[in-house]
Amino acid sequence: MSNVLNISSSPHVRDRWSTRYIMGIVFLSLMPATIVGVAVHGLQAFLIILISIVSAVGTEFLFDTLCHKGKSYLDGSAAVTGLLLALSLSPDTPLYAPFIGSVFAILVVKCCFGGLGKNFINPALAGRCFLLISFSNSMTVFKVDAVSAATPVAELLAGKAVNVTSMFLGTSNAVIGSSIAALLLGGLLLWAFDIIHGEICFSVLGGFTLFVALFGGQGFDPVFLIANICGGGVVMGAFFMATDYVTSPVSKLGQMIYGLIIGVLGGLFRVFGSSADSFSYSILMGNLLTPLIDMYILPKPFAYRKKAIARQSGAPRKTIKQMIPRPVLVIAIITLLAGLALGGVYSMTEETIKEQQRKKAWESYRAVVPQAESFRAVQAPDIYGTIYGSSYGRVTINEAVIGMDASGKTVGYAISVTSSEGYDGNITISVGIDPDGVVNSIEFTELHETPGKGMLAADPAFKDQFNGRSVTSFKLITGGGAPAANGIDAISGSTVSSKAIVNAINAALDFFQSVKGVQ
Amino acid sequence: MEKTFRGGIHPKDRKELSRQVPLQHYEAKGEIVLPLGQGIGKPAKPLVKKDDLVLTGQIIAEADGFISSNVASSCSGKVKGIEKRRTLSGSSVDCIVIENDGLYTPVEGMGVQEDISAIPNEEVVARVKRAGIVGLGGAGFPTHVKLAPRDPSAIRYIIANGAECEPYITCNDQLMRTQADGILEGLEIILRLFPNAEGVVAIEDNKTEAVAAMKEAAARKQNPKIRILPLRTKYPQGGERSLIQVIAGVDFPVSKLPADVGCIVNNVGTIYAIWRAVAFNEPLFTHVLTITGDAVNNPGNFIVHNGTKVSELVEACGGIREGVTLKKVLAGGPMMGIAMSSLEVPVVKTTNAITLLSEDAVEKAEAQLTNCLHCGRCTTVCPQGLLPQLMADAVHVGDLERYEKKLYGLECIACGSCTYVCPAKRPLTQVFKQTKAEILAQKRAKQAGGGK
Repeated sequence: MSNVLNISSSPHVRDRWSTRYIMGIVFLSLMPATIVGVAVHGLQAFLIILISIVSAVGTEFLFDTLCHKGKSYLDGSAAVTGLLLALSLSPDTPLYAPFIGSVFAILVVKCCFGGLGKNFINPALAGRCFLLISFSNSMTVFKVDAVSAATPVAELLAGKAVNVTSMFLGTSNAVIGSSIAALLLGGLLLWAFDIIHGEICFSVLGGFTLFVALFGGQGFDPVFLIANICGGGVVMGAFFMATDYVTSPVSKLGQMIYGLIIGVLGGLFRVFGSSADSFSYSILMGNLLTPLIDMYILPKPFAYRKKAIARQSGAPRKTIKQMIPRPVLVIAIITLLAGLALGGVYSMTEETIKEQQRKKAWESYRAVVPQAESFRAVQAPDIYGTIYGSSYGRVTINEAVIGMDASGKTVGYAISVTSSEGYDGNITISVGIDPDGVVNSIEFTELHETPGKGMLAADPAFKDQFNGRSVTSFKLITGGGAPAANGIDAISGSTVSSKAIVNAINAALDFFQSVKGVQ
Repeated sequence: MEKTFRGGIHPKDRKELSRQVPLQHYEAKGEIVLPLGQGIGKPAKPLVKKDDLVLTGQIIAEADGFISSNVASSCSGKVKGIEKRRTLSGSSVDCIVIENDGLYTPVEGMGVQEDISAIPNEEVVARVKRAGIVGLGGAGFPTHVKLAPRDPSAIRYIIANGAECEPYITCNDQLMRTQADGILEGLEIILRLFPNAEGVVAIEDNKTEAVAAMKEAAARKQNPKIRILPLRTKYPQGGERSLIQVIAGVDFPVSKLPADVGCIVNNVGTIYAIWRAVAFNEPLFTHVLTITGDAVNNPGNFIVHNGTKVSELVEACGGIREGVTLKKVLAGGPMMGIAMSSLEVPVVKTTNAITLLSEDAVEKAEAQLTNCLHCGRCTTVCPQGLLPQLMADAVHVGDLERYEKKLYGLECIACGSCTYVCPAKRPLTQVFKQTKAEILAQKRAKQAGGGK
């Protein structure tokens, strides 16, 4: 008995679970989405994933080495962050983006706050949002057959029907890890391995669905709801990001509240916002609320719970009030209040907003038909507000007015049209046309495109191209194509915005033909 | 599915090493070392001096104060002296050392069965006290104190704890298989003291033979106040609070005693000892013990004499296996046992197992240590409903106020479940034990200061 016996405090056995085991399972659960992503999007997607993981692990390795922090890069958490980040990027992202995003996620969000377990927001999401804000143009490029196209959520926001089947399979026009079927399989794996539990996932999805159903304008239409859930990273967020242990509350009740907050915020941004990436932001907000939730929602030990105290004094009867679980009550009340508050604010401001839009429109009519002294509306209410024609995309004619001079003679027409296919929501244009069909000028009454790109539409260089031309329809010329008699040069880098504007103006011209001569 | 408590874990129980080995009476050959304090309370006052001759079963030290217990000699021989000797926990305490003559000559009047129905209730408690019986489950609380609560009529359950949820340990399993009648006799004796109480023998359902044996014995007894209750196998099912939770449906804070909620929990070994004490006038000087672990040649279950050297028992099991390095030796099982630094120490009343391991899981875990992930596994398994991860955070930032008042850190029963499941391998239980000791020490210091 010459050897020295080990001494330690009990217990002397340990479960096989380790940090690396958990990270391994999470990584494995992301594999279905990764495989589908690479299969659908090819080499570029693979490179993005590879660069993201390598730079995430590499950053942590360098930090550990330089700061003498041990070997935390081996625990697998950096690799998971890198993979999650890559899966939430577009397959057409330039290759420097995953590198920058991973470095930011690991260095700033994780290591600088104390490494694993100490970050206050999800590093992968933080990296993604950092990229979205810093490189807004190249980050949001989604191409289909080398032509820019809108993501399913952008289409959904624009009120279009989307192909849910392709969203399920991951062949739609979205981020690398967008296959809902693969993500659900991954979520199921996480659940089967006991890594995640229902509280967060279902409260996120529940809050989101409820909000979209109540305020999304299409009620409980299942197709609409499923399309909304399947798009914009909701599923990935609910299963892989909101459930991040570090940045979610400890108690089950806290987790449900946290999930509900994320779900409702996500729904709010989806219904009333215009960004397709809003779900990331709602999760980040939930992350930031976590310490607050953990401060106030602390479950008491079993012996201090009300029922237990009643039992200790020998009164085991339950009242009906006690039989309804408290979390259910609390959550119901929170949801109700949040819903009422949001709905109330919306309906209160809705009229004011409409009034202001109207005022703005009438001001613009004077600008586009300067000769007119007064205007009167053209009566065509059955056309107003509905999608006009089939070849202009989702364009609606808001109204048409006839401008008259002092003697009451028609001197021009102003038509307000809205295209819902702008890069960032609606674009509303007032088009001034003289009685002979010549375009006077155009004015934007609603335009919130990307600054420096789509917003250039309001510059005379683009806007004035339409002035004084008399055509039946304009044709968009992209990338320096051959000039044409009816050609309009697109804003460089903003094909989506340009196309929406030209479509809207063409619709206005088309509608003009039908109101021309109407007195 | 049998009833169980909330939380808990399923560690590998490794009971297969020894569970089928019958109890074997082992009479120590070497010297006997009897610490004066064996269990909770003040150490006993010695009644013998150097060179005195003692007999087996002779009371050689008597309880000093309310919470204290007698010590009986477990062999016959000559007192070598009363000296400081190292014990299981590593500390040196006063022990009576006896030169064992190997004859085991019993003290007069011991071992003759009496008709227990003739013994009055006061005499029952007096005999238990005289026998120096303490809780054999591990804590070692004096049993005669437990049997004398303020209001005996308020006691609803006498729980015989045969759960044996701690991994590796099988001695109570064997005891229940072979001494089922004796245990029930003991339980009946206790029930006599509590007119409104029901006797419940709680056994984890992995001990099918023990459950069957106890059920047969109960069928022979036909006492309507006694039932055998199999429970789901889950650690810490044998914890006093877990048993009360399942049987009486009550959760109660550590500031209360089981008797406050109408329960008295005794280990089956203790109950057997009560029967021996009352019916045979036999003090507690032997108890059951398992020698097990992957490092020992022949794991087994023994009836051992109090004060036997651990090294002697290990030799009785065939010694350490060839080619195996002994890494860790535990007094008790791996969940709550104490790591020993040497085998040259005596077993005491509360030692229910010696576990000899060739691998130290703690050493391995330390290599995998990471920051806390806040995964919440510790919260899920805590049988008390605590939040270990937040408790550890509070200790880390030195906020003992939050630890005690907001997180109820003092409710920790140190069962080790949180540490067992922690994927980040944080030494949670250790931190909580230290912090509890620290807070209690602060409180005592404050009280002492206030008293002046």
